[in-house]
Amino acid sequence: MLFGRKNRKPIVIPEKKVAEWKYTTCNYCSTGCSIEIGLSEEGKVVTSRGHAGADVNRGKLCIKGLLEHELFESPGRGTRPLIRDKFHEAFQPTSWDAAMDRTADKIKEIQSKYGRDSFAIVSTGQLLTEEFYTLGKLVRGCIGTNNYDGNTTLCMASAVSGYKRSFGSDGAPGCYEDFEHTECLMAFGSNLPEQHPIIYWRLKEAKEKRNFPLIVVDPRVTMLAQFADVHLPITPGTDCVLINSMLHVIFKEGLEDRAYLEAHTNNLAELEALVTQDKWAPENAQKECGIDEDRIRMVARLYAKAGSAMSIWTMGINQSTHGSDGVANINNLNLVTGNMGKPGGTSLSITGQCNAMGTREWSSCSGLPGYRMLEKPEHRDEIANYWGVDPEFFPKQRGLTETDIFPAIETGEIKGLWLVATNPMTSMPNTPRIRKAMEKLEFLVVQDCYEDVETNQYSHVYFPAAVWAEKEGCHTNTERRVNLVRNALPAYAESKPDFWIFNQMAKRFDHGKVIKFPETPEGAFEEMKELSVGTSRTLDISGMSYEKIEQARGIQWPYRASEDGRKGQEGLRGDPRLYTDGVFQTPNGKANLICVDFVNNNEQPCDEYPFWLNSGRVVEHFHTRTRTGKIGNCNKFSPTPYMEMNPDAAEELGIKHSEYVRLTSRRGDAVVMVQLTHRVARNAVFIPFHFHDCVNRLTLGLLDPYSRQPAFKQCSARIEKIDQKEAARLNADRRAF
Amino acid sequence: MNSEFKPENLKDVEIFDPRDMTPVVPLEKAESASHWEVRTQEQPYAFLSDKKVDEKNRYGQLIDLVDLTGLPAERSMYINENPDVGVNPNRNKQHGFFFTADNCIGCHACEAACSEKNENPAHLAFRSVGYVEGGSYPDYKRMNISMACNHCDNPVCLKGCPTRAYTKHAEYGAVLQDPETCFGCGYCTWVCPYNAPQLDPVKGQVSKCNMCVDRLEVGLKPACVSACVGNALDFGVVENVPENREQAKCSIPGFPTPEITHPNIRFQQTKTLPNEMMRTDSMPVKYRKEEDGSFIPMVDQKKGKEKHWNFAKLSSRENPLVLFTLAMQGVMGAFALTFLGSLLGVGFLEAFRASSVYVPLLIVCLVIGAAGNFMSAMHLGKPHRFYRGFNNLRHSPMSREILGVAGFMATLGFHTLFSLPANGVFQSLYSGLIGADISALISVETATSIADGFGVLCLAFIAFGLYYMTRCYRIEARPFWNHYQVNTAFVGNLISLGGLLGGGTLVVSLVIAGVDYQAALVSCGALVCLGIALEGLGLLGHHRDMSSANHEGAASHYIQCTTFGKTYILRNVLLMVNLVLASALTLSAATGVVALAGWLMVALVLVMTCLIGRALFYVLVIPTTMPGAFFWKNKGFEEHARDIGLAEMPQVGVVPHVH
Repeated sequence: MLFGRKNRKPIVIPEKKVAEWKYTTCNYCSTGCSIEIGLSEEGKVVTSRGHAGADVNRGKLCIKGLLEHELFESPGRGTRPLIRDKFHEAFQPTSWDAAMDRTADKIKEIQSKYGRDSFAIVSTGQLLTEEFYTLGKLVRGCIGTNNYDGNTTLCMASAVSGYKRSFGSDGAPGCYEDFEHTECLMAFGSNLPEQHPIIYWRLKEAKEKRNFPLIVVDPRVTMLAQFADVHLPITPGTDCVLINSMLHVIFKEGLEDRAYLEAHTNNLAELEALVTQDKWAPENAQKECGIDEDRIRMVARLYAKAGSAMSIWTMGINQSTHGSDGVANINNLNLVTGNMGKPGGTSLSITGQCNAMGTREWSSCSGLPGYRMLEKPEHRDEIANYWGVDPEFFPKQRGLTETDIFPAIETGEIKGLWLVATNPMTSMPNTPRIRKAMEKLEFLVVQDCYEDVETNQYSHVYFPAAVWAEKEGCHTNTERRVNLVRNALPAYAESKPDFWIFNQMAKRFDHGKVIKFPETPEGAFEEMKELSVGTSRTLDISGMSYEKIEQARGIQWPYRASEDGRKGQEGLRGDPRLYTDGVFQTPNGKANLICVDFVNNNEQPCDEYPFWLNSGRVVEHFHTRTRTGKIGNCNKFSPTPYMEMNPDAAEELGIKHSEYVRLTSRRGDAVVMVQLTHRVARNAVFIPFHFHDCVNRLTLGLLDPYSRQPAFKQCSARIEKIDQKEAARLNADRRAF
Repeated sequence: MNSEFKPENLKDVEIFDPRDMTPVVPLEKAESASHWEVRTQEQPYAFLSDKKVDEKNRYGQLIDLVDLTGLPAERSMYINENPDVGVNPNRNKQHGFFFTADNCIGCHACEAACSEKNENPAHLAFRSVGYVEGGSYPDYKRMNISMACNHCDNPVCLKGCPTRAYTKHAEYGAVLQDPETCFGCGYCTWVCPYNAPQLDPVKGQVSKCNMCVDRLEVGLKPACVSACVGNALDFGVVENVPENREQAKCSIPGFPTPEITHPNIRFQQTKTLPNEMMRTDSMPVKYRKEEDGSFIPMVDQKKGKEKHWNFAKLSSRENPLVLFTLAMQGVMGAFALTFLGSLLGVGFLEAFRASSVYVPLLIVCLVIGAAGNFMSAMHLGKPHRFYRGFNNLRHSPMSREILGVAGFMATLGFHTLFSLPANGVFQSLYSGLIGADISALISVETATSIADGFGVLCLAFIAFGLYYMTRCYRIEARPFWNHYQVNTAFVGNLISLGGLLGGGTLVVSLVIAGVDYQAALVSCGALVCLGIALEGLGLLGHHRDMSSANHEGAASHYIQCTTFGKTYILRNVLLMVNLVLASALTLSAATGVVALAGWLMVALVLVMTCLIGRALFYVLVIPTTMPGAFFWKNKGFEEHARDIGLAEMPQVGVVPHVH
């Protein structure tokens, strides 16, 4: 001890006194990080840590994951079922039986009165896969409505649609390990450091070991854009123009991988004819996409000449009117350059929600379990046989997506709605329109961990659900890795696992007595395994078990029982990549090159609404803040909404840093605090989407024609000055948490 | 372009990692230690991996702390009273953080890992990330800065702390603080240039980064470093450059000069930054690139140029200190004037001391002094621990100030006590109540000479206390204060307020007694003039120096001239007018009702200027802290959150106004 201390001072550092570590996977985003929850001797959650042996995160966690174990007892958790006749009345606490009986009766009543499809169900990407499978069984097999979708339509539908159009099936063909092999990485509208910090770390680690060029396409100067070797600040919504122009350069200069194209793709001549048109020449395309012709050529050559090159993308592509086309076009780029299914050469969609993949695979939202389609009679028969119902009970084509369900409520086609772990009052574009739709519902049941989820203000029945490690089951992450959440603690108060809720609901329907509903999630997992068996099926999990998954800290599919023992990592390694043999899930086994022509149908900045309005995530928050808004050490980094605005634009309007402004669009208005920064262009603003009664009061959300995903990120707005005191009061009033 | 890869080559691809991250403590040994439970399959990034230890750091100090201090090695740190000695072979080497500023993505993982491990509430953080940004779209750069404690070679916190809550350990060179010793004065938060010590207004005590010494003892890097997702934060024996890094600078834009404390942090920052880097928080400071590539702070005119009053904002958490310092200076001056004057044989002061008004003046001084001290103690987070203020006389100017003030109060008390027997009113009261003459107890002469003794001691304590009162504010991390203006203001106010209180009492007593008071009035008036002039001269110098400075002091002065512009001008005008008025009255040597009314005017204006001036002094100071973010560590947002009630929600991370 320096400085002459004679008496030692005590050193006290909090000790967590962990008696047992429970294995789980993070319940926020799709990265799929393994977390161990530390329990005290009394079984209380005292801490958590990243699992250092998990391949995905190798011990790292982002701010949300690091603090996730603090959410179990956060304010606003639902403690018991609630019920009321009208949404404007006060809730009354009730029993589970009463709440479920009422719900089942109402569903049957509405269905008998207005038809089977007049009751809709919208779920999420946040449940566990076994719960999705069970919900799908309940909806498709028992309730029998075709208007059943997940909120994944808001985040991943375009990726799914683009994958299906190109490859005949969903599922990202690449993996995180591709960063270690790639010689060029192009990120479209993906801000990994903010949205997927752990995937960013994997990328950073790869670059530290062996540097390679990083190209970032983003209208904002995000941290990733700043760190990129080439940043392309694109005009919002014009990614397809850029990609077509790159393809133009590649074909014109003979940089395409013709051997691969001829062996493994359909539609080559059509694509080549399209993209070699003059309008896609860089000198013409530059006018539309805002990237100068030299840079388009440079990037095209860099990408095409790299030994392996990969693309990643997130909402910048998916949440646009050309979302599905954008994905298909990225796939085109990778097929044309021969970058598919090889290490470091791939189209890797960076998914949003922890189990967006699980819902895509098993929830039956857009079809039937295991990527089966309602449109295919053999798929309907398979599932009907397995469940023991009449195949005729299934609809013969997919019903409405989430974004079409709300308009159908407006038109009166849909009278009742069950929302599971989703909060459209905050998350859907054009809140004023959603609010109106909610008011029209004859019956709304909201199932959520949080009683204070904003959508609950319109519900007639509220089911308090358990969260994360209060339950047991699987997630599938971005790179097709199935990972496990072990049950670490009992459900909060009288809340129940979603799995239990679905099973109990099934008992209230006739088919529920016919179809088997396993008592445990692991039982449901066994059913899924059986349904996944198939020689050419990529989504094959038949070799997995909870025990193996935990032992391997997650296994990628396909992982076939028939190939037991063939794989690395002590036999527990699934396939890291799809389509390595150039065989795709299309009828002729070849990938489809999709011709993407570009029509600019976005709402453009104009004299009246001169700013591009963009929205997106911040690292400390997840979705509609129902969880992170209550964890102080997350929330404090953005406790109130703000808007990034260019200082030069602000100067013109006389707006100062940290002042409030009022934004208006053709939909509504919002009040927000201004953060002046040159991160955004002079005619663009950015607002995080997490906050209730904020940016989505303004957004338009035109729908992608294929995926029906809304274009959250391209619309226009006007900025007006506002009385600062009034604005501050309004801002405080709108923050219930 | 090529498709020569073969699917069969894809199985279990080996990936070459060129980085050598051999741990300092082998895994088995780390797992055997009792200080921290190593994670299953812990990764190389989490382990300390120093390959060498230099002899000296760049400032010439030994890195081996056993050599430096002569303290024994192999000593337990008794972390949570655990008697085991850590297994880290480098445990007696000075360690420090390494921050690759080029890489930080501002993801808050370091902050979250720290707050989780240390169980800190939302409003408190041992590590914080802020940023500076510059350029214009799309040629824009943001540089995030993650900063905790730098466990400095020269820990100014340790030296400043009056309670000796801080220890710099020979283990890792960690500067650790014991919250249970702390009494919450917050002085360490004033002297630290990096905002490392955290004063918790809820608990009323300071706490800070503990370097995760529990993890270090088993060879693991601190939690924040292990959690870093950008590969920005690293840790090791100081002066070592981590694998894949090529630079070890002492400073980056936004980081205060390392000369103050010799912090144990090194930086890599190779990417070219714009010539001006701005802060997003409310501090009116930006950073300008110098020719040598370093950045220096300068004023950022965020508040425009308009001048405001903002009287209400003069009130701050430091209000008790405004009153305490003014009160102490006033009573010290009053006592020094009357007592010293009488000792020196100034006729009217000798007469005053002999009069029955002298003791009441002393009692008034004692009461004002006690009130000042009470306020100062209540300003502590833990007032009941006030006695710990003396614990660091060896290093802390604050301890010495407290000693000076306490000594002053005690000796003044005894001086007053022993001045009683000579007091006519007391004599008659005593004989009236006790029925005996006071001289039966103690002779007037003895009492007076004892009083003289205490009085002289008291003068010594005044000199000592006042000197250290000024030293307390001559803080390098607070350039607005670190100016001779502190000395001129404190001495000037001692003279002017002392002249006012002492002289005022004297003159009033003479007026009431109906005797000639001209000499007394002129002499004391001259003192008031002198005090005001001294304060004014200091302020002129301060204005000149702060206007041309390149540091946070200039930013404080900018706020003084804008946010408080009108108030500042008012104070200056009042000061000048008062000086002219007091000088005119003194030079004219006028007496009578008009002159006395004039002096009363001087007195009122003097008190007013002192209060405004001292409040400005506290409210304006901008420390050399790290840049904040838009919400977190942004004083402007904190104030706003309190004003509009957002702070009432604990998850906002702002402690609401204490009602």
